[in-house]
Amino acid sequence: MPHWQIALVIMIGYLIVALFIGILAGRGKSGSLTEYVVAGRKLGLVVTSFLMGGAVFSAFSFLGAPGWAFERGAPALYIIVYTAFAILPWYLIGPKIGKIGRKYDLYTLSGFLKGRFRNKSIPILVGIFSLLAFIQYLATQMKGMAYIFNIMTDGRVPFWLGALIAYGIVVIYVATGGLRAAAWSDVFQGLLMVIISWVVGIAVVMQLHGGTTEMFTAINNAQPGFLEIGHEGSTMSAVGYTTTILVSLIGLLMWPHLFSKSYSSRPVTIKRTVLVYPLFSLFLIPLLLAGYAAIGVVNSGEVLPDEVLPYLITNVLEMPGWLYGLVGAGALAAAMSSADAITHSASLEFTNGVIHNVKQDLREQTTLLIMRSAVVIIGGLAYCITIFGGQGLIALLLGAYGSIVQFAPGVYSALYWRRATAPAIITGLLAGTFTNYYFQLVASSTPLDIHAGILGLIVNIVCVVVISFATKPQAAQHANAYVGIK
Amino acid sequence: MSKSTFSTVYITVIVITFLMTIFPIFEIANRAEPFILGFPFNFFWVVLWIIVTFALVVFLYFKDPDRHEREED
Repeated sequence: MPHWQIALVIMIGYLIVALFIGILAGRGKSGSLTEYVVAGRKLGLVVTSFLMGGAVFSAFSFLGAPGWAFERGAPALYIIVYTAFAILPWYLIGPKIGKIGRKYDLYTLSGFLKGRFRNKSIPILVGIFSLLAFIQYLATQMKGMAYIFNIMTDGRVPFWLGALIAYGIVVIYVATGGLRAAAWSDVFQGLLMVIISWVVGIAVVMQLHGGTTEMFTAINNAQPGFLEIGHEGSTMSAVGYTTTILVSLIGLLMWPHLFSKSYSSRPVTIKRTVLVYPLFSLFLIPLLLAGYAAIGVVNSGEVLPDEVLPYLITNVLEMPGWLYGLVGAGALAAAMSSADAITHSASLEFTNGVIHNVKQDLREQTTLLIMRSAVVIIGGLAYCITIFGGQGLIALLLGAYGSIVQFAPGVYSALYWRRATAPAIITGLLAGTFTNYYFQLVASSTPLDIHAGILGLIVNIVCVVVISFATKPQAAQHANAYVGIK
Repeated sequence: MSKSTFSTVYITVIVITFLMTIFPIFEIANRAEPFILGFPFNFFWVVLWIIVTFALVVFLYFKDPDRHEREED
């Protein structure tokens, strides 16, 4: 049997197992709204850490991280740094958000901001922005899955079909099983991905170079500065590197699918998840090594950076067919574990943030129906972008990150700053998002090479502080309802 | 240790370790050579600080006054 057939069989086998686990996890649980949105607010440590981790082990890390190492060298370290540090604030804010959520029966980021600022425009804006960012993010994952199917089968599964198959499965189990389904398949997918990245990362380095020292010495001799940041020969400035880390770091917990895990996990679970998380970032090391290993072996014009890992495996290395298939399955797992969480959360934010504030008094069953239909529609939109849009994986993700990070001033003010007012949060959010988009899409460069998302954040924070002091303070009981919770 | 002291200590610790991995402090380690354990020096530096952070956060967890916080529901 040729390699591509074995690979195809293994990947399909993987998809069937993932589907099975997802459906099984959701079965037998009550069909209530609380179960669907926060799994009854009682997920355990293993499941929570993989839900959080699964979101980091995305198509971005499996394909994008080797791509960055291959194309840009040392700046790829940013991925490890932000993954390790971004979760740490959750130790303090997660339990507090969880308590507020239980007290006021919340399950989204938009609901959280609405409860504090008593204003409908904020949740509607948050609902719309998250929907846009989610669709982009989802398109990234689908693109990743489609690459994998396409490359691993030597082009026999066309791009559009690969994305469609994998995505169909996500939609089916998220629409039926809710958070619990997404959670359990993440445990399975997370384990698979960690094991595969280590096996492949080490195998690639050993086969091509004999060891990491030999590999890095060769790179450093051929391209001095490539393994450093901001020096001559480097691909990124020091300011660019630092602000890219900052934007990803502040943005991570503002992603509604991660933020809302504060509601579904108990305080002790949140804290333990934070403890193990920095180790998750180290799991990414072999993926960077694989990208470095391709330098000098693969010509940079020959292949897109995002495709370098699958390309290495299929065209350069001598690997048995089953290993091919496992890599395919690992990458699918990475993409799907992000896709399911994103889809679930996107449907929640949109329904709770936009629909609930436009039309009130929906019955619980109607709400559930809208959420489930939203899963299908959001998936469909992302699919269209995947097939017709043509940006690189990472530009997409960083673009979306730039907008999501603009929620941070609102969230942190809601938790800790009594003087913050609704008009200030709205203005800040709009001004920050506008600034980010201007520098990302219109301007050709940014001042001092600062990341567009950070420029937006600076504008955002200035607006929030200045306008808060210029407007009438919030009624003390509303501010205290959040800030006063210990 | 009271709850607010704990928060202050926790924030101080993670901010300091984080600053080690970004500019300007990162510049002192921003070199490819010497290679340590097969990694460029800056790569090793980043991994080292992540492990240090991990160890410190685990240590702090055991000092957390709210570690055994009860569930209200």
